Amino acid sequence: MISRYVSLLAVRAAARGALRLIRLAIGAALIVAAAPVSLVAAGSATAAWLRGWPPGRLYRAAAYCAPMVIAWLVATALATRSWRSVATAPYLAWLAMWHHAAAGSYPAAAAVIAPAAIPLGLLAGGLAWSYRIRSMETGSGGLSPGSAVTFDLRQWRHQVRSARALIAAPGSLPLTTQNGHVVAGAVIRTIGHQGDRIAAIPYPRMRSHQVVVGTTGTGKTTLLLRLWAGFMATALRRHAAGAGRPPLLVVLDCKGGADARRIADRARRVLRAAGARSTAIWPDEASLSLWTLPPRQLTTTLLDLIEHGTGAAAYYADVMEAVVALAVEAPCGPPASAADFLARLDPGWLTLAYSSGGYDSDLALVRSAARQFGDIALRYRTLFRRLGSGLDGPGGFADADAWYCILEGTAEISVAEGQARALVDLLASYATGQPDGSGQAREILLAVDEFSAVSRRLPIWQLYERARSLGLAVQVSAQSWQGLAADDDERYRIAASADGGIWLLRTPHPEPVTGLAGTRKLVDTTRRLLGVPLWAHQGTSRIREAPVADPALIRSLDVGQVAYIYRGGVTFIQVKRLIGGPAALAGPTGATAARESRRAHGQPAVARPADGRASTVPPAPGGSAPAWVTHGDASAVSAAHDRSGAVPPDPPPRPGPPTPAASVPAASGQRNPLPDVSELLDEAFGAEAGP
Amino acid sequence: MIRAEGTAAPPAGGGNLAGRDIAGLLFTAEMYGVQVDQLAAVLGVSESRARAIAARWRRQRHAESARLGPGPPWIWLTRAGLAGCGLPYAPAPPALSRLAHIRAVAAVRLALESASGYHAAGAYWRSERRLRARVGGRVGLRAHLPDGEVHWPDGAPVAWAGECWAIEAELTRKTVGRTTAIMQELLSRTGDYGCPAADVLVPGRPPRHARVLYLCSAAARPTVARAREALGGAAARIEIRALPPGAAMEPAVRPAAGRTARQPGTTR
Repeated sequence: MISRYVSLLAVRAAARGALRLIRLAIGAALIVAAAPVSLVAAGSATAAWLRGWPPGRLYRAAAYCAPMVIAWLVATALATRSWRSVATAPYLAWLAMWHHAAAGSYPAAAAVIAPAAIPLGLLAGGLAWSYRIRSMETGSGGLSPGSAVTFDLRQWRHQVRSARALIAAPGSLPLTTQNGHVVAGAVIRTIGHQGDRIAAIPYPRMRSHQVVVGTTGTGKTTLLLRLWAGFMATALRRHAAGAGRPPLLVVLDCKGGADARRIADRARRVLRAAGARSTAIWPDEASLSLWTLPPRQLTTTLLDLIEHGTGAAAYYADVMEAVVALAVEAPCGPPASAADFLARLDPGWLTLAYSSGGYDSDLALVRSAARQFGDIALRYRTLFRRLGSGLDGPGGFADADAWYCILEGTAEISVAEGQARALVDLLASYATGQPDGSGQAREILLAVDEFSAVSRRLPIWQLYERARSLGLAVQVSAQSWQGLAADDDERYRIAASADGGIWLLRTPHPEPVTGLAGTRKLVDTTRRLLGVPLWAHQGTSRIREAPVADPALIRSLDVGQVAYIYRGGVTFIQVKRLIGGPAALAGPTGATAARESRRAHGQPAVARPADGRASTVPPAPGGSAPAWVTHGDASAVSAAHDRSGAVPPDPPPRPGPPTPAASVPAASGQRNPLPDVSELLDEAFGAEAGP
Repeated sequence: MIRAEGTAAPPAGGGNLAGRDIAGLLFTAEMYGVQVDQLAAVLGVSESRARAIAARWRRQRHAESARLGPGPPWIWLTRAGLAGCGLPYAPAPPALSRLAHIRAVAAVRLALESASGYHAAGAYWRSERRLRARVGGRVGLRAHLPDGEVHWPDGAPVAWAGECWAIEAELTRKTVGRTTAIMQELLSRTGDYGCPAADVLVPGRPPRHARVLYLCSAAARPTVARAREALGGAAARIEIRALPPGAAMEPAVRPAAGRTARQPGTTR
């Protein structure tokens, strides 16, 4: 009985083996019979594996062969005048291929079968590649359950290599696409987003709130520069086409220091190459005027700039508010400068101003608060001394296409807090009621970096909501999730309202942000262990939820790699570095020299034109262009943003009258700077870690 | 004692050298010697293939190889190999005390040559060995030779065409004073290496090196940065970058530890 059972088992095993051999033989015969298709399929699948392509790319390639197949079939129909011949053309081509091959004429054999074999092979390769990916994703493929992990890591490396090759190819990545999308870089991998080679962000998303999170040295500045330049180029093009308003980019760099100056210089060069006519760097080279605010807003802003106590000190806050309101809203008009305002904080001045009749209650207020005037004037004198001349004008946001505002949030936090508050109020005022010279409002992008460092007096969510009501787009960037805002409520409020997407670079704690991308359903398969190291292909599968943006992958991102999270999907992007041309004018040194030159000539640093509107165009002898303004010209634009050969969009013609032309020789002492070699060195030795 | 790898070489034979072999031999000669992994990068082949090529060079008596230190074996050219390349250098294996430095400089050269702009411009690397050969025995006690020069031909399609760069690979910290002195010497030199003494520093003439490129280890970088700051206006001509990956040698094995220590991030 036992021997019979053993024999039965042996027969069954032999039968199974024979069946398997027959299957293999049939498969091999089919592969050989369809050799051209098999070859193309193997080649395309291998190429897809090596380059990390999705299967869709092979399908698209097969679809692109359709004209060739149609032409071939039409030619066959015309030659034979028979539809039957057209129907049998692939079979006849297959026969002819074998005849040619048997005769040793391999090129002829390849030419005969190519129209049929290439699309079919690409299709088969795509299907095979899709099957392979699917089996690995579900955990059912490979020799061991760990194969799926290895496969994914290897594919990531292949995809990164392809993306890097794409951004290194000259001319492969323009700054914007023809339909006005902003190109961020080359796509590494997409999950839940449409797969493409180029990561292009539609312009409307640039007009929505965005969040950028990335540690120092991960390429955050490079990404931001690219986004700013893309916004500027696209908005200018749209404006030139009559489809949009002129752009205004305002950057608040809340860290300050030497790094901020370096980035400001880079931003100016990059923006000039993108078409920006002028970029102002505040407060080093340009100034804004707090005194252009409407009187009521000016009163509020001036009060917010001063720290107030609580409890009994609230009484003094009320007195101060009354006195400031009296000074600002005096019958003769609001103050024009800090000195003017300080001069008004005097009972005599206010009594005189309000003694023209009809202001009895205000005069009574002056009398009752007379004892406090000295203290209030002292506090404001101290405040203005600390704030510097950057807010004492003249000048306004209308004077430049881009403003790079440097706030010393690291060195002088309290000053930076006051400056941030004033700048945001100025921008809000400009956005609501200050049309520019051509009578048009502007499309404003406010980019704030590490704003949480200076947001004590202006919570960032308040900035967000104010911006939303004013039609401003706000781009908040921080080095970490914690750097976005003071507490988790604010952080989630900011991240949740980022309609334009979240840019996530390498950061050690990405979970809160990746959580916002949501989860996706994946098939998880268990496999039976036959004995180390053999696993069977039988097991059970179940559906599990996996994060769309894998936190582990975010932690391992390299410099210049970013995950763009938008609407429950994520696109991993290799950012293309943007290189601006050399500075046309000197940086701070040159500006300082020009300022000194103006002082030497007994002229104010900045003058008001005849129309009385504040302008930062300085009246240097003969009327020179401002030191901080870099006028974009044809040569600057053609110098291009992309030294790898990417051609930037044509500079759009700028409507409106030209800025007063420069006719004064450049400040003495300017030297011809050495050409910028950072692109070459970055390519050779890797990008330098930014701030 | 340095023991060559493998068995005794067969009698010298000419053998056919491909263009790739010639490029590899010249690179090896100019850099004093290279390790097999770097030779693989030069030749554009795998490390095992590079070992096979090195073995063929040995059979042809163009090169010698040995494990001089931790990591892959070193390859250097023999007298016959140098003569075949037409290079008048003294045949010798790389000095043990300079192995790390030689490897770092080779890594810098490889990284620079891998940049697309380098090839597009037709730039040329002039090695320290070549400079030293030009100077001969006239290198002063305090005179400093750069670890290499990069010459960018006039008319090359780069903004810095016509410039000559001095290359310095810094692995260990010097004093700030010494580093500043070296920088000043490199930036102020007007004559070529090996030129008459009167031409070394001629006021009014353009400096020989338009800029100096420092590739620093993490340890050396602060010193180099401080030295650059001390230069004042000339600091703009100093570029500081981190050494490329793979520039560091594998740390030596300590017998007592009984286990090979590996640098974080390195792969074998």
